[in-house]
Amino acid sequence: MIRSNKGYFGEFGGRYVPEILRPALTELEEMFEQLRDDPSFWQEYVTLCQEFSGRPTPLTPLRRLSAKLGGAQIWLKREDLNHSGAHKINNVLGQGLLVQRMGKKRIIAETGAGQHGLATAIMAARLGLQATIYMGADDIERQYSNVFWMRQLGSEVVGVETGARTLKEALDEAMRDWAASVETTHYVLGTACGPAPFPELVSYFQSVISYEMREQAMKQMGQLPDEVVACVGGGSNAMGAFAAFLEDQQVALVGVEAGGLSMKTGEHSIRMLPNTAEPGIAQGYKTLFLQNQDGQLGDTHSIAAGLDYVGVSPILAHLSQTGRVTPERATDSEVTEAFSLLMKTEGIIPALESSHALAGGFKRAKTMRPDQNVVINLSGRGDKDIFNIARAFPQAEWPEFLKREAVRCQQLVDDQQETN
Amino acid sequence: MLPQQHDKLQVMSHAVVGFPTLDENERAIAGLVASGVKLIELQVPFSDPVADGHTLVNACYEALKTGGSVRATLDLCAKVSRQHPEASFILMSYLNPLYRYGLEQLFRDAAAAGFKGMIIPDMPVEEFEPFMPLLDELGLAPILMVTPNTPDERVARIAQSARKMIYVVSRMGVTGKQTQWGQEFKDYVARIRRHSDLPLAIGFGVRAADDLKALTGVAEVAAFCSKYIEWQRDQGSEQAAQNMRQLLLDAQLA
Repeated sequence: MIRSNKGYFGEFGGRYVPEILRPALTELEEMFEQLRDDPSFWQEYVTLCQEFSGRPTPLTPLRRLSAKLGGAQIWLKREDLNHSGAHKINNVLGQGLLVQRMGKKRIIAETGAGQHGLATAIMAARLGLQATIYMGADDIERQYSNVFWMRQLGSEVVGVETGARTLKEALDEAMRDWAASVETTHYVLGTACGPAPFPELVSYFQSVISYEMREQAMKQMGQLPDEVVACVGGGSNAMGAFAAFLEDQQVALVGVEAGGLSMKTGEHSIRMLPNTAEPGIAQGYKTLFLQNQDGQLGDTHSIAAGLDYVGVSPILAHLSQTGRVTPERATDSEVTEAFSLLMKTEGIIPALESSHALAGGFKRAKTMRPDQNVVINLSGRGDKDIFNIARAFPQAEWPEFLKREAVRCQQLVDDQQETN
Repeated sequence: MLPQQHDKLQVMSHAVVGFPTLDENERAIAGLVASGVKLIELQVPFSDPVADGHTLVNACYEALKTGGSVRATLDLCAKVSRQHPEASFILMSYLNPLYRYGLEQLFRDAAAAGFKGMIIPDMPVEEFEPFMPLLDELGLAPILMVTPNTPDERVARIAQSARKMIYVVSRMGVTGKQTQWGQEFKDYVARIRRHSDLPLAIGFGVRAADDLKALTGVAEVAAFCSKYIEWQRDQGSEQAAQNMRQLLLDAQLA
């Protein structure tokens, strides 16, 4: 597993935060330093993941699809089968163990697509913690079903009305809350970004994905895979999928970013390819940020809200510069195509985020030999995001249904008010 | 002007460069100086100002639309420091815009534009340390922040690189909300004074004449920023300057 040099990975990482947040980060770092090398802590974490989230997740061969594409054998690491429907729960369960050790009773989190917020709300309910989830007001509108569940689970969801009202602003607002509440509150950062030790800590918990993958590959393929492919938003599922293979130079590691509508500024979320993002220092850390000449962070776009972010894990920024991780991109239309292909050929409904990894992985598999193996990290499932998927595949039937359903729901609310 | 230790309390106020417009900034600063404010922060607007509350976040967002930038801030300082030689101007910015400009060049250009000091909330003291010889040569003071939870050994390290004054964040949280000035706060100020003879600027939660009265005799500077920007936003720069005049009279600081 990769180790930072005092919080840095090459030139990236660090801890650029207002002085007020420093003590909590130092405390977290000290605790993490002690626990990471304690095998019983890792065992406690793996057991929790097993009991609560069904780990290990399977490595599924895509026999029909591989034959159809005619290249390498394609396998999916099924993070979509986690409780809550995505890899986000891994990190959250791990941080839950830390919160218990710190004795804090309140947690906060930022969320974009709502996956991390949902996972956090689940952990809070299970551990009896008070949770506040910050989410951009526009994201709340786009991802209402996750908001519905977070609230049902007992979490407070706060809409962030500033700026572009998406993930970046939600992260800013969570940091503001933390500045006021840091002595009693833990910030459950959702991705391998932010000030040290978060990039390393989140990658550590997510690395359970690739440690399983490695073992499963040896058992099922009889060898290590030739390539591992993951989508990259903040980078936590990619770091999870890559971590155990970093020393195995024969395993190519491919990170697929959101190519969006085009390469034009504001129409994509690509940070690691040339002529996109530049080194910058914001949101507590140094990495490749999409930004303008004046250092203002830029606008991003992706069909998948979970990839719609201006920065990227400092670990991935570093590994893409050293050449260990190969950056790729998939456009919105390539993504919907890969989504349909997997669904119709293999009966698996992927999340739109993970469909970026599919698009990139399928493209590469086609150019490879049938005796080679590609593992694609299927970071989340799509069936629970029915509203988003319906938006990605517009058809008349759906809005007609929603109109009828809206009338029925309103009737139920009215009836309830009358009886009160 | 920059204070000396034990000077009577003076108010430091604020401009977000480009809010409401670049032209209006000049008039607002003239108004502040005429009301008796001699210490003014010029804030480079930033897309992600994590240490600020909603007033300054929204002002930044608006300022970016009207052309607020590092360059515009340097240009504004060059003008207003000529127009108002009796006032001192402090560069306030988050790190990234300055980092993109190039830190060494920025320090040189800021000093040339007439800035006397800099407040950069997300630039830790470790990052300032290698630049200290240059900053001392330029006479550009890093005004470093301490917070109630900063441990003593770190306050000592901060005090070593701090110049001209230390910015004492009055409480946990971000800008733009009330602070209580009780015994706990006074103990905190005393703790900082044990590490430095520099004047102290108190920021976060200074919103009324009563706050200024409470700080008189406790610190040398009070940062009256978010509330002033609210005045500017709601009542215009001219009225905001009159309110400032009245504030200083009410607090017996005029």
